[in-house]
Amino acid sequence: MASLRTTSRLFAASRPLFRPASFARTYATVDSNVSETPKMKTFKIYRWNPDTPTEKPTMQSYELDLNKTGPMMLDALIRIKNELDPTLTFRRSCREGICGSCAMNIDGVNTLACLCRIPTETTKESRIYPLPHTYVVKDLVPDLTLFYKQYKSIKPYLQRDTPTADGLENRQSPEDRRKLDGLYECILCACCSTSCPSYWWNQEEYLGPAILLQSYRWLVDSRDEKTAERKAALDNSMSVYRCHTILNCTRTCPKGLNPGRAIAETKKMLAA
Amino acid sequence: MASFARSSLLRQSLATTRSSLLRQNVGVSQVVAFHASARKQILPPLPQKIEGTMNDPVPTPAPHPVEGSYHWTFERAVSVGLIPLTIAPFAAGSLNPVMDAVLCTLLVAHSHVGFQAAIIDYFRPHRVPKFSSFCHWLLRAFTLTTAVGLYEFETNDVGVTEALRRIWNA
Repeated sequence: MASLRTTSRLFAASRPLFRPASFARTYATVDSNVSETPKMKTFKIYRWNPDTPTEKPTMQSYELDLNKTGPMMLDALIRIKNELDPTLTFRRSCREGICGSCAMNIDGVNTLACLCRIPTETTKESRIYPLPHTYVVKDLVPDLTLFYKQYKSIKPYLQRDTPTADGLENRQSPEDRRKLDGLYECILCACCSTSCPSYWWNQEEYLGPAILLQSYRWLVDSRDEKTAERKAALDNSMSVYRCHTILNCTRTCPKGLNPGRAIAETKKMLAA
Repeated sequence: MASFARSSLLRQSLATTRSSLLRQNVGVSQVVAFHASARKQILPPLPQKIEGTMNDPVPTPAPHPVEGSYHWTFERAVSVGLIPLTIAPFAAGSLNPVMDAVLCTLLVAHSHVGFQAAIIDYFRPHRVPKFSSFCHWLLRAFTLTTAVGLYEFETNDVGVTEALRRIWNA
């Protein structure tokens, strides 16, 4: 990180006319000249390697100076991978909480590493695990195949038989559009589903909060014409009704959405 | 051209940072054993395989006439109905055998549905087929015994409300 900064400074210095050197664009770092005392923090990270399947998973600890690390957990993970241990494996892409790749269990809470600040308290270590109750592919990478298969089972696309009035667009009133707020923002990071005890026990049959939120998103869509079929697909003891309103989903959602409410509304729709 | 120069610069400075960090100590990291699984498992682990191909959706269960929304509505109606029924006899201060009978019926239904949910949650037929059905039959037997016992208590003795009142005042 520090190296990137120096390089870009050099680069910027060659063109001072266009932008001052202080605006050099780099990854999130903290200026290493500012503080003298290093703030060393320990990160304990779950490690398991599929190449040696007989070896038990271990917790490996890394120490980083917080003065030289960006503010977010993902910055710390990237720095560990870049500078300490290139074998550390995790998914990440957008670094701004819109792709949902870096979902993991940090200090006991499922969240996105890119949206989770590093606790500044250096005496306590931070523990990072993959999403709970998932099969682990490697280190912090969970196998989400079942999750995506479940997503596919709710048919997450617009289903219509009748053509539109003008033959161009499926129009919707602003009120109907407003019903989708708080639903369409879901990025399917699986944080909520893997925090749900009901989903831990019965993930083969129970759909889980993330998928049910998506299901509700299509149930309330005024343009969708297969509401009855969608409701019939949920009308059994397992798909929805294993939800016991534990509300871990709402508590953990890194996007601040409310899957618990979506499930409650689904139950009300089904009961009516 | 510029990018070429930049990448070589980057590599150099990266190399220096890495070596300085190694000197600081962090290259040596502790490895602690992590116990993810119990020594002795109760059940053998499930096969870690995917049903069908990656691109197939999970099968959608057929809608059930009583287990889905109907069951849920019934459960909620019983729970809501129990609230006034538990308060009314004590608030009114009068005893009514019909009210007592309704209260007992709802209590039995409520506890049956509650335990049934626990069995469905924890003992899945695909995991423990025999034990699952055993639990369901055991619950039915217990519910029936409770219902018969409450009927006897109501008809031959003082009844639930009066018994509670006596315990409260004792």
